[in-house]
Amino acid sequence: MVESAMPLKIRQKSVDGARDEFEIRDYLRLDLFPHFLCPGCGHGIALRALLWAIHDLDIEKDQLAIVSGIGCSGRLSAYVDANTFHTTHGRPLAFAAGLKLARPDLHVIVITGDGDCLAIGGNHLIHAARRNLDITCIMMNNEVYGMTGGQVSPTTSLDRFTTTTPMGNQEPGFDACALAKGAGATFVGREVTLQTTALKNLMQEGLVHKGFSFVEVISDCTEIYGRKNDLGSSPEMVLSQKRSVLPRFDGTAVDKPFRAGNWETGILSRQERPEYYSAYRAHCHKVLGK
Amino acid sequence: MNAKKKSAKSVVAVSGPTNVLIVGVGGQGVIMVSKILARLSQMQGLQVKQSEVHGMAKRGGSVFSHIRFGEEVWSPTIPMGEADVVLGLEWAEGLRWLRYLKPGSGTFISDTKRIVPPFSCRDRHHDALHGYAHHTVAEIVKQVPSAYAPNATGMAIELGNERVANTILLGVLSTVMDFPAEDWLQVLPEFVPPKTLETNLKAFEAGRHWTTQPPVPEVQEQAVPQPQAPMRRQVSLEITGEWCKSCDICVKMCPERCLALDDHQIVELVKPNACTGCRVCEWLCPDFVIAVHVDVVPLEAVSADTTTEVRI
Repeated sequence: MVESAMPLKIRQKSVDGARDEFEIRDYLRLDLFPHFLCPGCGHGIALRALLWAIHDLDIEKDQLAIVSGIGCSGRLSAYVDANTFHTTHGRPLAFAAGLKLARPDLHVIVITGDGDCLAIGGNHLIHAARRNLDITCIMMNNEVYGMTGGQVSPTTSLDRFTTTTPMGNQEPGFDACALAKGAGATFVGREVTLQTTALKNLMQEGLVHKGFSFVEVISDCTEIYGRKNDLGSSPEMVLSQKRSVLPRFDGTAVDKPFRAGNWETGILSRQERPEYYSAYRAHCHKVLGK
Repeated sequence: MNAKKKSAKSVVAVSGPTNVLIVGVGGQGVIMVSKILARLSQMQGLQVKQSEVHGMAKRGGSVFSHIRFGEEVWSPTIPMGEADVVLGLEWAEGLRWLRYLKPGSGTFISDTKRIVPPFSCRDRHHDALHGYAHHTVAEIVKQVPSAYAPNATGMAIELGNERVANTILLGVLSTVMDFPAEDWLQVLPEFVPPKTLETNLKAFEAGRHWTTQPPVPEVQEQAVPQPQAPMRRQVSLEITGEWCKSCDICVKMCPERCLALDDHQIVELVKPNACTGCRVCEWLCPDFVIAVHVDVVPLEAVSADTTTEVRI
């Protein structure tokens, strides 16, 4: 039997600054740079936050597996200097579940997009959440299929223009966090890219959590979604994301939202439930006697 | 820290109203102390007028309360140079209102606690100098006719609750007023929270007791502790121009506006002295172009520009 991954611990900030500084270049495959993302894409900011969280949790690169699907977010795994796994459309959670069951000593992180996770991979999301396998799922939500040319996605807000909804979208979008929580995810959180340190802390909490953790990152697609909907240049979009959310337990300011409605940010739900791998091993032990 | 200088006579004036000015920082209990004093004066059958500024507690701002009592009181505010007692709950606030003290006979009572307001630190650099009052306690005690400067907050911490510092000062105040001690103890329970009454009574006694102690020998102290060798941040911005996609996020988000796009639409550092090394550009760059390296070095070692740009 392979031992489970060592439990992670959040490092306390040392006062004298003795802690080693985070250098993102240590975690990147520099020969692939500059990356393929459009100017001002929030995915880059989210990737920095994720690598920063990994650095602060002292996860060895050999103990880290990043699984991603297809789409703009899917390409992010290629830029990380770790065990990475670029899988088929919508199936990163299914691949990750297999990987985690075979190699429970790895810290498995899934990077997925809104279309990848909620449309093509919607079933995989709800079942991964139901099983409560110890995986961290980072969903980058930019409300659009960016890589394929800007089609409507399951999270596109009402009345927004995309290439397939030229007169405005009339389908209500998903609340991905509510979906994951309803399906049984034991850790659910949401954050915008502007608040990089808060995003990093949220990802850290998600990585430390034992069980399925789901983190929704509200990212921006400037070139395709922003331009079609007149949401401004990248700095304006990043700022409007901040205005459209309602930090949990704090603040109420909302105007000209990036996503319509008050989207709560922060840790939205944290519960304790038996983790799938350990429960499965215990069951095998009981049935097979080994 | 502790210093005192007593005048022989009591401060309550023979004719005309007695003026007490109570000042402090929001949240310290200025209003509570003034209410106690006002109620006490009413109990003695005197006319009392009190006026205050309040609502500053949330902002850590300056709070003051004028109390005038006597046979007949007309104006609710104390004219400058007419206060018989200035009671400061914080050192700089006490000094701020010192000019209201009656020259020749006024009593100055102040805690030596220092609450340095953020706005006195104009420079956001590491260990920056600040504009807090630079006078030592001994200097002030020499200047005023009669002064009491206990380290009330330190005494309160010893009693187990930092917030009873105001009651300790009230105890000191009670020794310079003509009201009997029993009346003070009668009024005190009306205004302090019932849970903390015991500590407050102890604090009141501690304040009265402090005035009877011989003054501790003067300790040579610096008014505001300054670092021995002033330190500064030395920031270097490492910009990988090849990766920059001119998305403008760093330029627009920099709180000091020290970045700009050059002729080739690549980010560059235009105001090296304004950069504080806050790392916002590093965090928000989606293309990992900017890396901020911050060193803390002695002031003499800082090059002319506090921030340097390294282009790759």
